[in-house]
Amino acid sequence: MPNSSQSPAPEAQAHEPRVVAFLCKWCSSAGSDLAGVSRIQYSANATPITIPCTGSMSPLYVLSAFNKGADGVLVSGCHPGDCHYMEGNYLARRKLYLVKQLLQFVGLEAERFRMSWVSAAEGAKFAEVIDEFVGDLRPLGPQTRLKAKH
Amino acid sequence: MVNVDALRGYAADLLEKGQVRAVIGYRRGTAGVLAQPCTIDEAGEAETLVWDPTCLNNLARYLVEDRQQQAAAQTRNKTPDGRPVAIVAKGCDSRAVAVLLQENYLKREDVVIIGVSCEGSGVIDPRKLAARPEGRWASRVDFAGADAFKVTVGGDETLIPARDLLADRCLECRAAAPALNDVLFGEVVTERGLDEPFRAVKAAQGATEDARWATWEHHFDRCLRCFACRAVCPMCYCPECVVDSTTFVNTPGTTAEEKATRIRWCERSASVSESALYHLTRAIHLAGRCIDCGECERVCPVNIPLRLLNTKLEMEAFEQFQYEAGRDFGQASLLSSFRDEDPNSFIR
Repeated sequence: MPNSSQSPAPEAQAHEPRVVAFLCKWCSSAGSDLAGVSRIQYSANATPITIPCTGSMSPLYVLSAFNKGADGVLVSGCHPGDCHYMEGNYLARRKLYLVKQLLQFVGLEAERFRMSWVSAAEGAKFAEVIDEFVGDLRPLGPQTRLKAKH
Repeated sequence: MVNVDALRGYAADLLEKGQVRAVIGYRRGTAGVLAQPCTIDEAGEAETLVWDPTCLNNLARYLVEDRQQQAAAQTRNKTPDGRPVAIVAKGCDSRAVAVLLQENYLKREDVVIIGVSCEGSGVIDPRKLAARPEGRWASRVDFAGADAFKVTVGGDETLIPARDLLADRCLECRAAAPALNDVLFGEVVTERGLDEPFRAVKAAQGATEDARWATWEHHFDRCLRCFACRAVCPMCYCPECVVDSTTFVNTPGTTAEEKATRIRWCERSASVSESALYHLTRAIHLAGRCIDCGECERVCPVNIPLRLLNTKLEMEAFEQFQYEAGRDFGQASLLSSFRDEDPNSFIR
């Protein structure tokens, strides 16, 4: 709603993407912690949500995040073979592959949903993943397709 | 040709010997050309059973309803009749039963599958029939080999090419005979060549991202949230649906704080975002379970091509994971199994 009586519109600034990051508590969550204690500078756009295992990711979490206005959703877990529960990340890989395909099929921008494997020792990789994701989201602007309009 | 008299005889025999509680099948409908589902529990009624290209419904849905009724009877301390139920099943219906068996929703001994083969043909799409001048007043549609349907209008019979009337899913069908059956009527025809599998999905995903969203935004906007797709689906048997919470109903005692802090995945308003959430959630819930009976699309009052969402995931399951829903009720389900060589390149 442009209003000429107001001061210059803040929309003139570039849209800052908001990322919801679902992080496995056994690896990526610790990886993000390592990025923090190592004082690595990276984008502050991600809201971390710790989950017990990527295998516990419900597709509904992803859809709900987009519904509530997330510009991007990241799911990050343990490298194949490293799951604390032996096979949770393999199950997540299959399930979230289908979620990604479905979101692309209905026309959500392909860049908006991403998965990564980040171990507890990969603080630097975690910072890279977030930076790269935010960098890819910025040109897309706000996510309006699945966001609730009410 | 499926010998309908033999089918009736078999059903009557089952009922007469008391081997089954009831037979779920098709009979002549009272409105228009389409057959309607029926449940018969007396041998004499077996005469009314029919099998023709207007037997559209996926009767596996009624097995689900029956199990729910049995469970309800048990909670009322009544001993339900433990005999099995027989079901007349096309190829797709038998796959639906196989998925229900795979999920332990039904036991194998609780169902008798009377398989009927589509014999290289399939069922009609009533919309395609109604779009034709002679189809408007058709009183009967019969099989006439794999390439045509015999449509009776008044006293006149015309042959219409099968391709013009077949339901979309039948054009793409890969297994038009029930692989899972206790008895099979008709011949197994596997060669079809009417259309390549997943053609409609491949066409839809060929469009650009923006065009795809424009299409689906249009469809989600028109959704009335009547939940007919959910009601007709044999796989939608959750006692509680994510969009339709029964545990979190508001009572006079519900405080404002409880209402405010309650998790609501999806609002009930029929807006684009909420309908998208409903349909996408439903599609994901059916991943590796949808057997492409096309019922959701058939019952949609606003013609949303819902089949596309489900077949998209079935295509991915088939191409990436070599998984077909309902192929074998002993197989591990799609989402509870994995292989080392599953796609990994999309993960950073």
